Amino acid sequence: MSDPAALSLAAAAQALRARHISSSELVDACVARIARWQPRINAFISVEQHPPNEGVPLAHKDMFYRRGRVSNCGSKIRRGWIAQETSTALSRLDTAGMPQIGTLNMVEFAFGPTGHNEHWGDCRNPWNPDYITGGSSSGSGAAVAARLVFGALGSDTGGSVRIPAAACGVTGLKTTWGRVSRHGAMPLSHSLDTIGPLARSAEDCALILAAIAGFDTKDPVSSREAAGDYVLAKKKLRVALSSDWIERHAEPEVAAAVLAAARDLGATLIEVEPPDFDTLSAHCIIVMQAEASAQHALWMRERPGDYSSAVRSRLESGFAVPAAAYLEVLRLRAAWLERFCSTTLAEADLYLLPAMNARVPTLEQTGPRGGADMPALLAELTRLTRWVNYLGVPALVVPCGFDSRGLPIGLQLVGRPFAEATLLAAGHAFQHETDWHCRAPAERWI
Amino acid sequence: MTAAKQWNNETIETMLAVQGIRLAPGRAEKIANALNAATVSGSLPLEFESDPTGYALALERCKAK
Repeated sequence: MSDPAALSLAAAAQALRARHISSSELVDACVARIARWQPRINAFISVEQHPPNEGVPLAHKDMFYRRGRVSNCGSKIRRGWIAQETSTALSRLDTAGMPQIGTLNMVEFAFGPTGHNEHWGDCRNPWNPDYITGGSSSGSGAAVAARLVFGALGSDTGGSVRIPAAACGVTGLKTTWGRVSRHGAMPLSHSLDTIGPLARSAEDCALILAAIAGFDTKDPVSSREAAGDYVLAKKKLRVALSSDWIERHAEPEVAAAVLAAARDLGATLIEVEPPDFDTLSAHCIIVMQAEASAQHALWMRERPGDYSSAVRSRLESGFAVPAAAYLEVLRLRAAWLERFCSTTLAEADLYLLPAMNARVPTLEQTGPRGGADMPALLAELTRLTRWVNYLGVPALVVPCGFDSRGLPIGLQLVGRPFAEATLLAAGHAFQHETDWHCRAPAERWI
Repeated sequence: MTAAKQWNNETIETMLAVQGIRLAPGRAEKIANALNAATVSGSLPLEFESDPTGYALALERCKAK
């Protein structure tokens, strides 16, 4: 076998079961790649070369707690903090034969969409290190794309799984609110926070989700909805989309790739009016800012200077959100969800759109010296992801092409609550017909 | 709801100060501008009796049949 790290998670698991390869060989292959890539992309925070459990190695955003281990949460404030409990998601992965070989870089407290981090260093896109990975699960996107691990957990409160998946050219699943227990995962906004996998394919995401989904007595809002086995059954799907809107609002290379991918899905396509992305996104921001600020109130009072200026600014805004506005958008949430399902999805199983309207921007464009266009660029990054968190529905991002600069383009599929199996089946069918997910960044960057 | 349009630097600084939050320089004006532009959509019909906990039930109702 040339490089075991090049296998998919599904293929590696199969090779392990057939005893064609050992767990330590898989770990060694990943560790060797990490040593080559880390200086260039800064995806890892820590590496565990001898995990206690056997299986296919994963690594996770540095916000999933493991008893006795450090979880820095991408911050200065929690640098060196040692967890007292292990998160439910990590425990379930341990049991399922997916040991953890490291912790991954992330945006400070998961509160930002680009992958910049002034405390731990910016994470860089393995397709071209001048460009962002997307965030907040920046290391998860970069590590999976560079084939440093077979999969990773991320969290998604406003797009933090889907944006790095799109920017790094991997598959990412934002789960239904409540589908995966959040016990032992750093909170940001409890009404919006979700946990989901980033991996090389929909099939690999399905394996991770099958391990972590399901009710947990330690997370009272986790759903009692039965967790499926996420079998990737073939089924003729009906997919809604708004082609005119995509052509008018997305950059031309993005629109062309996404509309071509729609045709490659092999589904019945149905044209619909787009959801009110901007209103739903504005509601998401109100909820996120208010809840994140409440979560951080103590540290914001006692040590505001220990936050980066970008994250401190986002948290300051939350203290000015009127309580009535916060509660009103939460009251409206059920009605907006029902409208989406009864209109946009009235005749369809899924809704299709780009993960991002814009092509992947550079680190400089979106960083502290980004200039006057930077706020608009940041807003555009999350314009098509936040509305999904407000509704609480699941969404899958799969790579669907590359732009003229060689950076990935992501396709997003959105489903009804608990429709993860349908999303993964659609992604798997697409990846059966295309090879975008099989492409890996060249090592010429390292 | 349409947010009232009277937010300014002083009201923002005061509102955050009573919560114990010291604003970074230049932030009050940005927050005031954002609040003045903010709206909460009133376009959807909403029963007087509805409350945020109804969302969990809506997730169940909206599942694929």
